[in-house]
Amino acid sequence: MNLSPSPYGTIGPFFPFQLVDDCNDLTRFEGRTARGQHIWLGGRVVEEGNVPTGNSVLELWQPDANGIFRHPMDPQFRDVDAGFFGWGRARTDRQGAYRFRTVLPGASRELDGTRRCPHVNLMVLAIGLTRRLVTTIFFADMPDQVKDPVLNCVQDPAARHRLFAIRDAALDSVGVPGYRFDVVLRGENETPFFID
Amino acid sequence: MATGSLPQVEYRPYDDSTQSLRYIKGYPRSFTRNPSQPLIERPLTLSELSGPFEPERRVEICDGDFSSATPGGPRAIGQLMNISGRVTDEDGAPIAGAMIEIWQANAAGKYIHEWDRHQAPIDPNFTGQGRFLTDREGRYRFRTIKPGGYPVMESDWWWRPPHIHFSIFGPSWMDRFITQIFFPGEPLNETDLLFNGVPDPEARQRLLFEPRPIVVTQSLNLLEFERDFVLRGKQRTPEVG
Repeated sequence: MNLSPSPYGTIGPFFPFQLVDDCNDLTRFEGRTARGQHIWLGGRVVEEGNVPTGNSVLELWQPDANGIFRHPMDPQFRDVDAGFFGWGRARTDRQGAYRFRTVLPGASRELDGTRRCPHVNLMVLAIGLTRRLVTTIFFADMPDQVKDPVLNCVQDPAARHRLFAIRDAALDSVGVPGYRFDVVLRGENETPFFID
Repeated sequence: MATGSLPQVEYRPYDDSTQSLRYIKGYPRSFTRNPSQPLIERPLTLSELSGPFEPERRVEICDGDFSSATPGGPRAIGQLMNISGRVTDEDGAPIAGAMIEIWQANAAGKYIHEWDRHQAPIDPNFTGQGRFLTDREGRYRFRTIKPGGYPVMESDWWWRPPHIHFSIFGPSWMDRFITQIFFPGEPLNETDLLFNGVPDPEARQRLLFEPRPIVVTQSLNLLEFERDFVLRGKQRTPEVG
């Protein structure tokens, strides 16, 4: 059979808060606390003219602090952190601000043994977007940044730089360090997005 | 799937001809939010080929009956209906255990949402949202009431036709899928910017519920609609050497 994938649609303005709230903390799962360095991952989503994009929905997918995905495809699946699920969801407020609590990801291992740079997958949904936007967040103070196969697809060094979350003490809270990742949907310093 | 095995599935980029336009005239935010730069091609690694696994362990699942706010509680106002269908990949293989989220307006066209400024009543017996799973054959089924249309209050005014939003968690990050499904024969479908944002008529048909014969029983008579979903993912064709 050769079926055509269903047409994507916008999330629209009315995605229920109840389906978002309690999903932005990735450090707790089934009564356990995630291992590794907890961080705040936050920032602003803006659109053309640096206008805040309120009421957008962001989702993360990432490996645990040891670089293991909670998914059977990962060769180390059985060793995944029992306190870490790996997916989260947040929404932006009227100022475009969002915040996740998560862990610094470890370097995930491909089936051939090569490693990805520590990273987090991000998808953005909002009014006006009839398709999701996908990108990848990297962390500036992690090693081996230049070897990542996805990061290397971004040719422009300035654009590549915009895929890094940066340490930002202004986002620190309750002893947990903050990392800033601003999403510029369109305009100056636009975030690079990937073909979906 | 065995631990550490890659499924022999390929995820090709969406064929734009079967999808919605990104820029839709009269839908102003589409011009300020879509990136101006071309999307960048990337390889798919374990990170993109895996995805949220057993999400029902992380979030709350309901029984799929949205016709009242609480189980056995008073019925919501509106035309009662069953909606069912199948979730498959591009080969027609069922996707079992896929988590589906739905959200919709009540019969008066009002959402329970801070951003909804439409002057229409809230129905205390209707929440219009929840999550459930597909079964082993990839089938889903839920009961709800028909949503009403409502005006879009921002920028260019138009009325949205009745529709139900779906969010589906397939087996991979590549098929985290969002859409909205419309009812056949609705006059407002003709002028809806989002429904008509899918230029291909055949693809647009796949954004409509299909009416099914109504099963008449002594106790409860419901409208029946079906909608199947095809998520991305296709068995890899062996290379011909």
